[in-house]
Amino acid sequence: MNELNSLETSETSESYQVRLEIFEGPLDLLLFLIRKKKIDIHDIPMAIITKEYLDYLNRKERIDLEREAEFLLIAALLIYIKSQMLLPREQVLDQEGDPRRPLVDRLLDFQKIKAASLLLREREDEQSLNWTRTALPPLSPEEEVIDLSDVSLFDLAEAFFTLLKRKERENFMVIPGKEVSLENKMKEILDVLQENVVLDFLEYLDKQESIEEALVSFFSLLELIKAKLVMAIQESLFQSIKVWLRKDLRKKTP
Amino acid sequence: MKEQLRPIIESLIFISLEPLSLEKLKSVLQDFPQEEVELALQELLKSNESNERGIQIIQSGGGYLFATKPEYDPWVKRLLNIERKTKLSQASLETLSIIAYHQPITQAEISALRGVDSTYTLKTLLQKKLTKIVGRKKAPGKPLIYRTSEKFLLYFGLNSLDDLPSEEEILKILEDEKFSEE
Repeated sequence: MNELNSLETSETSESYQVRLEIFEGPLDLLLFLIRKKKIDIHDIPMAIITKEYLDYLNRKERIDLEREAEFLLIAALLIYIKSQMLLPREQVLDQEGDPRRPLVDRLLDFQKIKAASLLLREREDEQSLNWTRTALPPLSPEEEVIDLSDVSLFDLAEAFFTLLKRKERENFMVIPGKEVSLENKMKEILDVLQENVVLDFLEYLDKQESIEEALVSFFSLLELIKAKLVMAIQESLFQSIKVWLRKDLRKKTP
Repeated sequence: MKEQLRPIIESLIFISLEPLSLEKLKSVLQDFPQEEVELALQELLKSNESNERGIQIIQSGGGYLFATKPEYDPWVKRLLNIERKTKLSQASLETLSIIAYHQPITQAEISALRGVDSTYTLKTLLQKKLTKIVGRKKAPGKPLIYRTSEKFLLYFGLNSLDDLPSEEEILKILEDEKFSEE
């Protein structure tokens, strides 16, 4: 009954506003409350601590579902423990059977973790003043040895996914194409014919760098035929097209 | 020859890509008696106290390496154009201390100890290379197993995991804290 009395008198002072965000988690909040109420961690009055804890949850300003779930989980645990303690038992509970025991162990563990991180923070502060060189002057390329000892599977996977990402982006890249004009292509074909007399047009198409260039080549051929500058013969369907310069044109060239 | 040992050791520490361990040092200097190497190293470390130098040799991450002295931090920062060195978040520190003291450990075990989901924090620690994945646990779901990395030691200026704050130091902090609140 003592516990209930103190519950009623325990002031839920509005002046003592603490935002939930400053707590790393529910255990952090619990430890804070225990210290604030000067409670012996090995003998926690469950009703008081549960009420205090829930008060803090109600006071929070923003709702962050994920974080809230973690805080509520511990709230449920507190209520569960209290209910366990209310159950009538035949024997007086020893320390091992105390329903608060697992929570107390967790809190004690967490307290140690907090203390350890405090000590690590001190070391971090100290060490941050000792600057070390992060890279040596570059070695010449032939001496360079790639050190793989520090590369973990995780690194590899990460590198792979970065590459994938980059590749993905590449799909959207506009590749500046070589500009092929009909005039230039016609001139090019004529030049080739001047040198070689006869031209296997399928072979010539194969040498083109892009579909566009091949297309322009074909149009050029048609234009040249139309302009009566070349003759083209295809013996049968799907056979190669052979192209010659017209005789009169050939004579003109040196 | 013996007098040369100190400068030799100094040059080896200087050129080493990672903290130069005592074993490595001894194996390179195998022509010298081991005690002489150790003695020369100790003498070399004494030169840290000299005011004439801006650099010192520190023992961290399993070996010896050069670092600037703390008092010249403001100038180094000015050179590197760094206003403030970023420190780890409280969540990162907590998670790191859990891994440091409980390794090898899984994500679920870390989250349980903190009472907070630690997936994101673990990811940032991995990216910072302060932790590493060493394998998978033979348990349902085959969860990944985490350990602290070599960089973790260097970051906190620890020579090995044995240098982590001891149980006594931790308990002392806890008592101090209680003390200061009463």
